[in-house]
Amino acid sequence: MAEYRAIKIERGSGGFGGPLTVMPKEGKDKVVFITGGGAEPEIIEKIVKLTGCTAVNGFKTSVPDEEIFLVVIDCGGTLRCGIYPQKRIPTVNIMPVGRSGPLAKFITEDIYVSAVGPGQISPADGSAVQEEKIPEKETEKNREAAAEPERKFKYSTDKKVSETLGETSKSSIIQKIGMGAGKVVNTLYQAARDAVQSMITTILPFMAFVAMLIGIIQGSGFGDWFAKLLVPLAGNGVGLVVLGFICSIPVLSALLGPGAVIAQVIGTMIGVEIGKGNIAPGLALPALFAINTQCACDFIPVGLGLAEAEPETVEVGVPSVLYSRFLVGVPRVLVAWVASIGLY
Amino acid sequence: MNLIVNAAEGFMGLFDAGALTFVNWVATIVPKVLLLLVFMNALIALIGQERINKFAKICSGNVIMAYGVLPFLSAFMLGNPMALSMGKFLPERMKPSYYASSTYHCHTNSGMFPHINVGEIFIYLGIADGITTLGLSTTPLAIRYLLVGLVMNFFAGWITDFTTIFVMKQQKIELKSTL
Repeated sequence: MAEYRAIKIERGSGGFGGPLTVMPKEGKDKVVFITGGGAEPEIIEKIVKLTGCTAVNGFKTSVPDEEIFLVVIDCGGTLRCGIYPQKRIPTVNIMPVGRSGPLAKFITEDIYVSAVGPGQISPADGSAVQEEKIPEKETEKNREAAAEPERKFKYSTDKKVSETLGETSKSSIIQKIGMGAGKVVNTLYQAARDAVQSMITTILPFMAFVAMLIGIIQGSGFGDWFAKLLVPLAGNGVGLVVLGFICSIPVLSALLGPGAVIAQVIGTMIGVEIGKGNIAPGLALPALFAINTQCACDFIPVGLGLAEAEPETVEVGVPSVLYSRFLVGVPRVLVAWVASIGLY
Repeated sequence: MNLIVNAAEGFMGLFDAGALTFVNWVATIVPKVLLLLVFMNALIALIGQERINKFAKICSGNVIMAYGVLPFLSAFMLGNPMALSMGKFLPERMKPSYYASSTYHCHTNSGMFPHINVGEIFIYLGIADGITTLGLSTTPLAIRYLLVGLVMNFFAGWITDFTTIFVMKQQKIELKSTL
């Protein structure tokens, strides 16, 4: 009897799920790889070395589900990446594929990990081994799928042509080019899927709610009204500092941001006055900073969404940025005022 | 009766303005950012997370990189608002600070490089117009706008580090400071 050890498998770059801790045991010691081209993926060697299990090419040999402790696949997000998770067999996907395909709902973090390379596999202590779960229901389709490799048709419906070719012959150059191109397309497709996902789940909701607030502020005319109120301040340096201070007051700053109304109304007015000679041209520099201390205070959730921030980060980030705008607002105007010496 | 009609119209008017803003964003920001996200996701996947992590470590390793150099380069190369998306390479705790710095960068650098913020360039132009009317060159103004911005935007980011810690304590939320 061989000695078995547990391994820990983490997700790789752009991957999903995991970390999984798995350990083979007597009678359940086979890692089955069902990968494109039938070629043995490089992680198999490492898994075998670390665990002491047996590797089986799933395309060539059929293994009863009870003997499988781990499945390695390279599914690009169609059917196969869901089949084994559905049977509650720990599944490793070499491709960076998340929950997708018709069986996406079975792909959960406790049974599936993707984008795995040799770097993601490490020895683990046996205590953390995942509880073995008995397959909840074995559908007829699954049994069929398991039985399929025994039939010796050249092309079968659950394998791509490329996979069948890989099964029957050694890798040729053309095959390798094909596989490489497939991998690139797959990566791009997954990248697009992730991008659309974060657009829908994070960015668009933030946009909608910020747009609603902006609508209320603009529609009610608050911004214009307030801008007119502040105009008299813009004539001298001290007034600009006060202006910068008012615009940066937390919460008020978020109300003044929309449509850059303050910046637009006051900025244009300052420009006109400078042109007329009523305001010294040198004050243009501190004015640029003073009218914009509230910069982007209304856009914080969307902006953080663009940086793929977690919801907690947004919760902390909104007040945090409002406070920091307040702290840095007046110093900005002062520094700009000093820096404007000798400008014109 | 008129009162009710006016109130109802006023109420709907609030949402009309919001809807216009939303449609404008969806039409301008969403397509560009979406494609940029696809591109960056693919790039990250092809380059490999480890090398990206190294890049991120360099960026997040010191505050001058994170709130000085990175936002400047992002603003210059990606413009507003795509520059904000580069914050994804920083740990959660630094994202608000990066936002604070990069949004300022999208304004202070737009005098010198108008392509950075085409949509809001009028903020600069409104004032610069007065200089032009006087027959003076606006270039010195643009350069000083950029230089003062470079220094003060960094501080804007750095100070946000401290306000973030403050808010975390206030809300009893702990953000990850590692990637």
